[in-house]
Amino acid sequence: MAHVEFEEEEFQTQFNGQTLRRILGQTRPHWKWVAGFLAAIAVVSFLDAYLTFLHKRLVDEGIMAHNPAALQSIVTQYGLLILVQAAAVFVMIYLTGILGERVRYDLRQKMFNHLQDLSLSYYSRTPVGWIMSRVTSDSDRVAELVTWGLLDSTWAALNIVSAAYFMLRINWQLALIVLAILPVLIWVAIQFRKRILAQFRNVRRLNSRVTGAYNENITGVRVVKALGREDANAAEFGGLTSEMYRSAYRAAWLSALFLPAVQIISAFALGGIAWYGGLQADLGLITVGGIQAFVSYVTFMLWPIQDMARVFSEMQHAIASGERMFSLIDAVPEVVDRPGAADPGTLAGDIEFENVDFYYEADKPVLRDFSLRVRAGEAIALVGPTGGGKSTIANLVCRFYEPSRGAIRIGGQDYTRLTLQAIQSRIGVVLQTPHLFSGAVRENIRYGRLDADDDEVEAAARLAGAHDFITTLPKGYDENVGEGGNLLSTGQKQLISLARAVLAKPDIFIMDEATSSVDTLTEALIQKGMEQLLSGRTSFVIAHRLSTIRRADRILVIEGGRIAEAGTHTELLRRRGHYYRLYTRQFRHQLEQAYDLNRMTGVAPA
Amino acid sequence: MSKSKTSQLNPDLSHAVSKNRLVGLWRLMGGYQFAYLGATLSLALAAGAKTATYLLLRHFVDRILGQGQTGLLPWVAAGFVGFAALEGAFTFLSGRQAAFTAEGVARRLRNYLFDHMQRLSFAYHAKTPTGDLIQRATSDVDALRRFFSEQAIGVGRIILLFLINFAALLSLHPILALISVIVVPFVILLSILFFRQVNKAYEAYQEQEAVLSTTLQENLSGVRVVKAFARQGYERAKFEDVNREKYSRGRRLLVMHALFWPISDLLCGAQMLGGFAFAASMALTGAISVGTYLAYAGLVVWLIWPMRMLGRLIVQTSTGLVSYERVREIIRQEREPLDEAGHTPTGDVRGAIQFERVCFEYDPKVPVLKDISFRCEPGQVVALLGATGSGKTSLVNLLPRFYEYTRGRVSLDGIELSHYPRRYLRRQIGIVEQEPFLFSRSIAENIAYGVGREVPQGEIEAAARAAAIHDAIAAFPEGYQTIVGEKGVTLSGGQKQRVAIARTLLKNPRILIMDDSTSAVDTETEAEIRAALEALMHNRTTFIIAHRIHSVMNADLILVLDKGQVVQQGRHARLLEQPGIYRQIFDIQTRIEVELEREIAGAAVELVED
Repeated sequence: MAHVEFEEEEFQTQFNGQTLRRILGQTRPHWKWVAGFLAAIAVVSFLDAYLTFLHKRLVDEGIMAHNPAALQSIVTQYGLLILVQAAAVFVMIYLTGILGERVRYDLRQKMFNHLQDLSLSYYSRTPVGWIMSRVTSDSDRVAELVTWGLLDSTWAALNIVSAAYFMLRINWQLALIVLAILPVLIWVAIQFRKRILAQFRNVRRLNSRVTGAYNENITGVRVVKALGREDANAAEFGGLTSEMYRSAYRAAWLSALFLPAVQIISAFALGGIAWYGGLQADLGLITVGGIQAFVSYVTFMLWPIQDMARVFSEMQHAIASGERMFSLIDAVPEVVDRPGAADPGTLAGDIEFENVDFYYEADKPVLRDFSLRVRAGEAIALVGPTGGGKSTIANLVCRFYEPSRGAIRIGGQDYTRLTLQAIQSRIGVVLQTPHLFSGAVRENIRYGRLDADDDEVEAAARLAGAHDFITTLPKGYDENVGEGGNLLSTGQKQLISLARAVLAKPDIFIMDEATSSVDTLTEALIQKGMEQLLSGRTSFVIAHRLSTIRRADRILVIEGGRIAEAGTHTELLRRRGHYYRLYTRQFRHQLEQAYDLNRMTGVAPA
Repeated sequence: MSKSKTSQLNPDLSHAVSKNRLVGLWRLMGGYQFAYLGATLSLALAAGAKTATYLLLRHFVDRILGQGQTGLLPWVAAGFVGFAALEGAFTFLSGRQAAFTAEGVARRLRNYLFDHMQRLSFAYHAKTPTGDLIQRATSDVDALRRFFSEQAIGVGRIILLFLINFAALLSLHPILALISVIVVPFVILLSILFFRQVNKAYEAYQEQEAVLSTTLQENLSGVRVVKAFARQGYERAKFEDVNREKYSRGRRLLVMHALFWPISDLLCGAQMLGGFAFAASMALTGAISVGTYLAYAGLVVWLIWPMRMLGRLIVQTSTGLVSYERVREIIRQEREPLDEAGHTPTGDVRGAIQFERVCFEYDPKVPVLKDISFRCEPGQVVALLGATGSGKTSLVNLLPRFYEYTRGRVSLDGIELSHYPRRYLRRQIGIVEQEPFLFSRSIAENIAYGVGREVPQGEIEAAARAAAIHDAIAAFPEGYQTIVGEKGVTLSGGQKQRVAIARTLLKNPRILIMDDSTSAVDTETEAEIRAALEALMHNRTTFIIAHRIHSVMNADLILVLDKGQVVQQGRHARLLEQPGIYRQIFDIQTRIEVELEREIAGAAVELVED
């Protein structure tokens, strides 16, 4: 199954320095901000340590020395430094934050832009959800690492270094006691964070299963009740929540243990300071203020250590995010303009498939040795069972894919010698599952030709038979169609996407079951528009609507990647083969609709 | 599992519904209240130990350094370690107990909501969007979990730290203590105001995040449209707009943070410095000892800085309260009793059903079924024919008591339907829907889903064979263990329907309700499904929701429904004789076949004319 490859690889065992460098490289365009916030961090962390030192001087030089003048000058100095520090904190938070937002912005835009270039084959093998999380959450995690992660770790490192400097200055023996404990603290902290993170990830995973279970039980509540599964389901669900409970509880008590554990270790340092410091003080080697400063340094050393542990344990996951993200950025589009590809300005002439082989996956050919010549202006109807290859033919004409072997010529020229833009901007495609974008009806139609004015939009809507229903909408052409157009019915969406294609005035027209959900009355309405649309244009119509099929110049029955039958409607009907069977079935359905039988018997419209 | 353990995991939480939200939350904690109080008490003890550390420092400076009693040094050192150990132990204990409570309450609530939802009536499910229910059962439960594990306890922690340290300061020097907290009310106020604003800005940011996701998703799922119109440039510009808006909203949020933290730093820093200066001058004049000064300098930190976080916790607490209200909305709904009944049948029903002037409506003003009367004998086939909305589905929904009729009387084997327990009734009735719902588990599990016992593989396969689905299943690489749905294979409509038939066959009900719609299925499978359905109907009272004359012709009783009323009833032959809907439908179907013949003949003629 394809989805298996796309399971999130949660555990990244290898530390990939190259990826880390590439992640950090994302900040290069904004190096001034980086320099600015690093400078601000340096000021902040130095002042953090220095203020404690100043407090020591306040005690020693002011209080112990009974010197009010010194006290006053130190207090003044302290006050000024607080102001400086506040300013530095502002710069630090502002620049880090802005850099973070900017890197997020850059990454998202870079990925989005690249996605526009990727070929359809990339989309068919990559789930949309996978791409979405690269663009949203992975870019977040990477940006987080290069900003707040960088800030926290730099701050923590500088903080420890400056604290160590002042401690060494006050009393080097005592400082060594403290510094000896430091690595132990960091190691313990990292161990904790790792275990806690692992549990949290487990909780997240279980949480999505719990959500899935809710979803299924609510949407399937009718079956649950009908089959009397309430007790069994509740018991099963209880197993799931218990598993989640165990992980969450474990994560929680590990977190609860973390700070106390670090605190107790540092308490030994504190005890050491008291003991050894007391002895030294007795000898006059350390002052009261000095001891107090040590107590402060040790007490507040917890925070930088905690921050460092957090950054280090999360770094691996940010790197994993980075790798997934770069795999998207590095994906190479398969269908691209060849060197020297040209835009002839029009797409006129015959379309020719010459011994075309095509497969989406190797060993599973969809088309084999397929040849077909479509004269310019000819209307071709493609019919046949699902999976027979009809849509593949349409995809190849649009050059969403290129033939695996053989060639497709337009106007006698191999179409890979044209630019993609030249082909795709001149082919109008209307799909069975019409895709609209959230926004006004008008904007959706205008998507076909961006510089069309309102009158042209309306004219296209009329031709497509969409005008009447649009004017009944509360806001007419300005009505919002909702996310993915889902405030409209499928039939209405089909009409709008038809209007969109009409507006584009394409040279070649492709319709893939484009009006399947339009009711019979509207179908009759758009009949004329369709005729006008198709006249003089080469067109491929994949349809099950008989009126559309019958009108085609040539009908191809596609089965198993080959042309099973070809000819006009009457010829094929006469032959009593594949087409005959398809036709009678369809004819019956359509008459049932025409006579409104489905309404009388309550059949949902297909 | 022991009885008490079971009730601990699946208790009745209906009593947790209370107008007063705090009372409700307290009841929601039922059984965990002592653990939670223990957590709070531990917090107080931990705060006390921290305070004691500074008092020990005072003692250390004044007595040992000041008076040179170095002999006590080891005791003081041990004291530091001891207090730290106490503080650590109690901090841990408090965190653990809080987590125990929060996680325990959340698990219980999840279980309760899950069970509760599946026991709520159809009427409730019909009017409540699934997404909303899921949201409440997941996000809101999580918000409640955080309320217990972080917010309530966090507020408690800050207040206790303040009270205990403040008491210690008062004992050191009352005036000094009072001077040291001048800024506290301002910091609290500022932080509440700030976090309230931040919350809003954050919501705006999240909204834009949603807009960005939608834009991205529409682009990805509409990739064929984008490519077909060669609109890549346009899409890039569109995304850029959305992306830039997110950037600027993020920036707004950021500026707020960049202002709040240094400003509150400054406030707290100024307060500290003022306190230091004042205390230091007192120490200079000898009003307080040096040790007292140092203890003061240590304690005051814990009095001031945590206050900045109080605003955040208070603002978050209010979201916890809102979540409680949202969860309460679900809990207060009445469950549909499964076992309560006036009649306790033994053995299976026979399947004789009689409707006498039955009326039903979802909404008191809009009748759905009016005066429905008919009767059928065990094993008979009743076909329902009528337009969408004529009441066919509503009528069969009364049989398993998915809904209760509002007037008239339905009897099963002569006993009023409402006297049967729902669980029993549903065990006696099998339903095959038009679009059957399968669960995302293996095909074997899906087939055995409704039986409520371990089913041997042989039995599952027999049911699958009878439902003409065995061969299709065997063709999957993982056979019966193939997972159905999003995470596995997608079954076609016809395959799903046959799995549902196998599921119903295995359940072996006495009464059958089925929808004969096979419109989405091609001709070969249609025949297979038809055969499978016939196997299923054999010897059971069957209600068919019919969509074509073909499947009602052999029914023992045909009910033609129109706008909630039975307008015609009888057998095929008799109904054909009467003027009415039934004959109209029959005529149309006949005419269609005639026209089809003519059309094909016409095509042949056209060709000759060419």
